[in-house]
Amino acid sequence: MAPSKGFKLKLAGMPDTSVIRLSRPATVGVSALDIPHIRPKLLVKEKEAVKTGTPLFHDKRDPDIRYVSPGTGTVKQIRFGPRRRLIEVVIALDGMDDFVAFDPVSPADLNTLSDPDLIDRLKQGGMWQTLRQLPARDTADSSTPPPMIIVCLNGNDLFSPHPGRVLQNRIKQFEFGLAILQRFSDRIIVAARKSAMDRLEPVKHRITHQVADIYPAWDPGAILYHIKTKAEENQAWYIHVEGLIRMAQFLETGRYPVETMVTVTKGHDKKPHMITRPGAPVRLLAGNYPSDSVITTGQLNGRKVDPDTHLGFFETTLNILPNAPDDEMFGFLKPGLNKPTVSKTFLSCLVNKEVQLDGTLHGEERACINCGYCETICPVDLMPSFIMKALHGDDIEEALQLGLLDCCRCGLCSFTCPSKIELTQILSLGMDTHHKDKQG
Amino acid sequence: MNPIKKIFDLLEHDFSESGNFAKLAPLFDATKTFFFLPSPKTGIGPFIRDHLDLKRYMSVVLLSLMPVLFFGMYNTGFQSGLARGESLDFWSAFLSGAWVVMPIIIVSYAVGFFWEILFAAIRRHPISEGFLVTGMLFPLTLPPTIPLWQVALGISFGVVIGKEIFGGTGRNILNPALTARAFVFFSYPVTMSGNVWVAGANAVDGITGATALAVTADGGTSLTAALADQGFSLPHLFFGLVPGSIGETSALCCLIGAAILMITRIANYRIILGGMAGLILTALLTWLLPGTSGTWVDAGPIYHLCAGGFLFGISFMATDPVSAPGTNPGRWIFGFLIGFLTVILRVANPAFAEGVMLAILFMNVFAPLLDHLVMKHRISKRIPNV
Repeated sequence: MAPSKGFKLKLAGMPDTSVIRLSRPATVGVSALDIPHIRPKLLVKEKEAVKTGTPLFHDKRDPDIRYVSPGTGTVKQIRFGPRRRLIEVVIALDGMDDFVAFDPVSPADLNTLSDPDLIDRLKQGGMWQTLRQLPARDTADSSTPPPMIIVCLNGNDLFSPHPGRVLQNRIKQFEFGLAILQRFSDRIIVAARKSAMDRLEPVKHRITHQVADIYPAWDPGAILYHIKTKAEENQAWYIHVEGLIRMAQFLETGRYPVETMVTVTKGHDKKPHMITRPGAPVRLLAGNYPSDSVITTGQLNGRKVDPDTHLGFFETTLNILPNAPDDEMFGFLKPGLNKPTVSKTFLSCLVNKEVQLDGTLHGEERACINCGYCETICPVDLMPSFIMKALHGDDIEEALQLGLLDCCRCGLCSFTCPSKIELTQILSLGMDTHHKDKQG
Repeated sequence: MNPIKKIFDLLEHDFSESGNFAKLAPLFDATKTFFFLPSPKTGIGPFIRDHLDLKRYMSVVLLSLMPVLFFGMYNTGFQSGLARGESLDFWSAFLSGAWVVMPIIIVSYAVGFFWEILFAAIRRHPISEGFLVTGMLFPLTLPPTIPLWQVALGISFGVVIGKEIFGGTGRNILNPALTARAFVFFSYPVTMSGNVWVAGANAVDGITGATALAVTADGGTSLTAALADQGFSLPHLFFGLVPGSIGETSALCCLIGAAILMITRIANYRIILGGMAGLILTALLTWLLPGTSGTWVDAGPIYHLCAGGFLFGISFMATDPVSAPGTNPGRWIFGFLIGFLTVILRVANPAFAEGVMLAILFMNVFAPLLDHLVMKHRISKRIPNV
């Protein structure tokens, strides 16, 4: 398996592999913004006291899928966005954790639990949703067994936490997690970036696929695209290693796990990995940064975060992107030694050094000129411009035939488009609409 | 603060929604973004974006046209001097050529931009950079003797009928610059074909003769001998010191432009190489036909490559991404068939001495079909995910 297409620029900002522990935050939050397709229904009110593990909201489509409080305290605020869309539930933390407790299940006891009991336990504990299902990336459907489960050791971003650090002192939980997954499927794929193998010696025998170090080769959608052999495998489940470990910790202790690892990247800074609570405040993680920066949870496939909110359930990294200097005079005529590009139109393509990109478009939106840059970079061999045109013509059938659902939303087509067309957004909307229609 | 920026900031209000010149907002916007590269914040992911934009993209195409443009200016002056029997030094040849060529380019840009601004103002969209290339390509395909009103008419047809009625940049089926040339070619055949085009030849009466592609040999002499006899020896054709359209005469300059386009990956090398392969193979086949000596059937691949506008067309016209296929196998076939059709038109149709223009326009029409077939094939190879 050697996907060769993808993002080949060398970006600055790889975090240092040292680990620090952040101070205890005053608040934690559960964000609804990084949970795909959810229709949340709140289960708590402001000023209500909650324990660690108390359900805060569930998914109306399946009320058994709960999102629980990652800390003990009182509900400080429930934030809504436009049209009363839930943004997040904020908890003001008390000094000590008081857990909603379940019976602990040791690895040896795992087989005493029946499948329905196991699924029910994970759902009650707010852990089931760490398992997600391709191609829509919705919460895994527990009623049908998956064709395979992909365990992604690397996160969504180029600079997500190093799996060697996430797994440090957690090998037992990792093994337990794999045992849990084996209850749901015989085929477990464990994939890691080649560059991460340096610190993965203890789990090397578990890794089934080493993928190229080209973003987004380690994304579950990209992995599946390159290993699938038949159409039924499209419904594969996947889980990130952080989720797997937390799932195992939850079963083993009967308590909601309150530690997670995040990375923060900012320019050429090499910040250490940070241990903090799930749903930690963005300000605490980000530290100092220029006021006009853009903060994202993945520079290519994340979301933009407000510094006054909290990190989401699935998110493990923050990228702080500087804003661009003022509009540049005759910018399009410069030789461009300091203008990173995947094309060959600036001199920067001759220099092989770490580059820094700012959070701006570098141009204005224009009509598609069929140049083919999107196809050249797409990691799953799509022709995004053709799919975009099919979607604009409301021809979802043609878009699906062209492989729309293989799209892994890596963002590279939008990244590379010289006409600055929001291809990723257009394709994502098409996929989401299709998923919604299918659910009825 | 930059003084030019100050001027734009002062004028901004007049061109805004409520200003006096709201209709001309696209013109203001195009001028402003020409001076100051805009870089708005990314609202949605991905949050980082490549530095390549359409301004840069089209600037690279213009850069690749510089060798043929400057050589075309020099050659226009040189040929005119030759016709008058004067021998001009480099700079006077260049300047007298520029004196002829610049008005054609200025008229092409001015009239073309008028239409672009008109359509942009009515449709309320920004002016696309694509016209920078069209406005330069069209004059380079014209003989230097062309009357300026024909230039104006041609570019109007190219922009309006060739592009804007389809919806503007990115939606046209045919290459607008070639559409413009085809219009002039069929409407005003006298100025566009037959006689040698030598600018500034008013001092000389009655120059007759033909462009290289119209030459045939009679009475047993070979075509190459007949060509050399009339000043079209192979080195002349390769370096371009022959009469012809402004931009097309020099094979060398076209190859330099093609190299720039291929190295920067702005043009797809598949189209250019496929076209050359198609031309060379077809020319080889016709060369092997017996009993054809003295005509272009017998010219062989090298002469077919260097004479006429093939290299100009395949490098700059066929590689227009909008009117070419968007799939790689489609691009190979597209290029190959342009080469094939160019030779077939040259040797089989006495009405058109030059075939490349019609070959490209014809294949432009078929580009969507090629894409369709390639995509059908690709879909059949994919594991369905529906």
